[in-house]
Amino acid sequence: MKHISFAILLVVGLAAHALAGDIYFNKHPVLWENPDILIWTPDAELPIDPKELCLSLKRVNSGIGEPKCRIFGEWERDSIAMHYANWLKKNIDPKLGEEYLHIRHPALMAKVQSIEDNIVLYLADNGNKVSVAIFDETSTNPKVVGTVTKTNDKIALGDEIADTFFSGKTKRRLSKEERQKLLDEPDEFYQEVPAFRAWAGVSIGYSQAHIPLTPDDWTESHTKSKVRNYRVTKDSVSLWNFIEDDDPLLSVHVGGIWYGFIGLELIYRFAKHKVKTDERDSVYEELDHWNFYQHEVGLNAMFARSYAIKKWLDIDLFAFLGFQYSFYVEDIALKEEVEKPSKAYNVRIRFEEAYKGGLIGGGAQFVFFKHYGIALRTGISSRGRDMYVDPTPDAAAAPSIIGGSTIDWFASVGLEYHWSL
Amino acid sequence: MEGSALFKRLAIVCAIACILTGCGPSYRWSKSHPLYKQVPYSTLSITGTENAFILTRSKWFAKKLDIDPLKVQEEATKFCRQAFLDEMKRAYPALKQLPDSAVTRFPEESQKIDDRVFIKGHFPEQGVSVMDGGSAPPYILILHEFIIGTDINREVFYDYELIRQESAEKKTSNNLSIVLSYTLWDNENQRPLFSAVDEVQHPITKITKDDLRVAVAEAAKKIRINLYEGANR
Repeated sequence: MKHISFAILLVVGLAAHALAGDIYFNKHPVLWENPDILIWTPDAELPIDPKELCLSLKRVNSGIGEPKCRIFGEWERDSIAMHYANWLKKNIDPKLGEEYLHIRHPALMAKVQSIEDNIVLYLADNGNKVSVAIFDETSTNPKVVGTVTKTNDKIALGDEIADTFFSGKTKRRLSKEERQKLLDEPDEFYQEVPAFRAWAGVSIGYSQAHIPLTPDDWTESHTKSKVRNYRVTKDSVSLWNFIEDDDPLLSVHVGGIWYGFIGLELIYRFAKHKVKTDERDSVYEELDHWNFYQHEVGLNAMFARSYAIKKWLDIDLFAFLGFQYSFYVEDIALKEEVEKPSKAYNVRIRFEEAYKGGLIGGGAQFVFFKHYGIALRTGISSRGRDMYVDPTPDAAAAPSIIGGSTIDWFASVGLEYHWSL
Repeated sequence: MEGSALFKRLAIVCAIACILTGCGPSYRWSKSHPLYKQVPYSTLSITGTENAFILTRSKWFAKKLDIDPLKVQEEATKFCRQAFLDEMKRAYPALKQLPDSAVTRFPEESQKIDDRVFIKGHFPEQGVSVMDGGSAPPYILILHEFIIGTDINREVFYDYELIRQESAEKKTSNNLSIVLSYTLWDNENQRPLFSAVDEVQHPITKITKDDLRVAVAEAAKKIRINLYEGANR
């Protein structure tokens, strides 16, 4: 029983499908609510009844409201329009796209542009089929072309046309004033790049010593190194010999860009790095924790390019180049029960007051509704000291400089607020 | 390390492919209508031949062919027109000639062949068949332009980004060149079945009228071959 009902359903479905017309192409013209449908045919007799078509439309599409259907006499009396109508009758073909059905005569092109919000329904008798095309004011190509099976039953034909070509969602028809306003509105994609745009935001990220796509051994000697006896490491060129490199990053950005092209950005970055104490060393038994807080302040020059993707979305791609100062604040504490720290604790390594370095990288700002931005940034930052100072007589006695060159890679994602002037 | 070597090799292959295929401008010089199925043979007419022929560097031609400079434009184009029609009639014995006025009464329009290639010509109105003494010829070859010159190529005439370039005055000429554009018109259904821009380069040492005839015949032959190859059979 189940099988039979399924077969019946299938047959009914196929029959309904066979009955429905063929659409050769559909560029989705606007289907207005309460539309005025102007029926245009090169034939002596109309294959449908305009009144019945209106009733079919109301039956098929409940959102269509009160359609008005009439014969488009203005075009049927116009010889140029009729030439094209006759031409279209011969040229509607499943192989031909809209560009092959383009209206070439300037007078008819002008007429199409003055259709306003009416729908022009073209019908032509092609033997056992009726060719259907729909024109609107936006294009001198037909917007939809297809065929329906011809029957002498005008009501059935009207139903089929309504079902095939007018079953879409309807849009409220605009009043004369609204149409005029819409015409006067600037193109949504036409907008001037603001003279100045500023932003402020916070972002979270991650940094590590190893720069992606570079050989591991560039950084391995630094990242694998540990601190023994509060100061002994393999070398002291990089701070990553002493502290952990892969840590989360928090940053604050304030910036501005002129003409969507060149900008400046002030940044503050914060990260907490643990000292890589060698746990095999018993001297650290007295130690509770030992960290360095990294504070960095920098200034970037930016070069950007803006893309207006949607009315509500602008994408700015940028590259930046800048300098920064890094400060490391030590946070160290001994366990409570330790009364007197070891000698090694007292002569432990000390970082320089400040390091200077550079930043290079790029990113993208996705600005939604002109104000709310999501920013992605990635780049390489360095911090170091000038290693090539003139040797002094007591150079040998002076403590060696820690952190001659410390490089890391970072990536961050942030939320921003944008203003345009 | 191996990965980077592979990447390098891939980049080189890509670069070579780019050079070979020509990342610079590449052109398509003809366009077929999707419904162009059959090449017309005995049903072909031709129009546009009265005004299409143009001689460039006429002073040079006048000197080399020993014709009065004031008459060279008229005489040389007349000669080429005749040579062209003779060759076309050899290929299409039933070829009918229509006066230019059959199509020139329609406005001039441009037709897109490729991204940067457009041809200009007079095309009959949609829905209006061109008549020839009471009957409508089914297929019409509309010759839009037939430019005769030396060392010219079609890019300079038909790529709209290049047409404003001025070429240098030249003393020597290596080739007798012909640049021509035409459309095969379906007069029953009023559609352009096939449009093309062709170019003929005929090497010359000392130019004679025979060279002109050979080059023009070659142009006519190109039309025939292209009409055949353009059909979507």
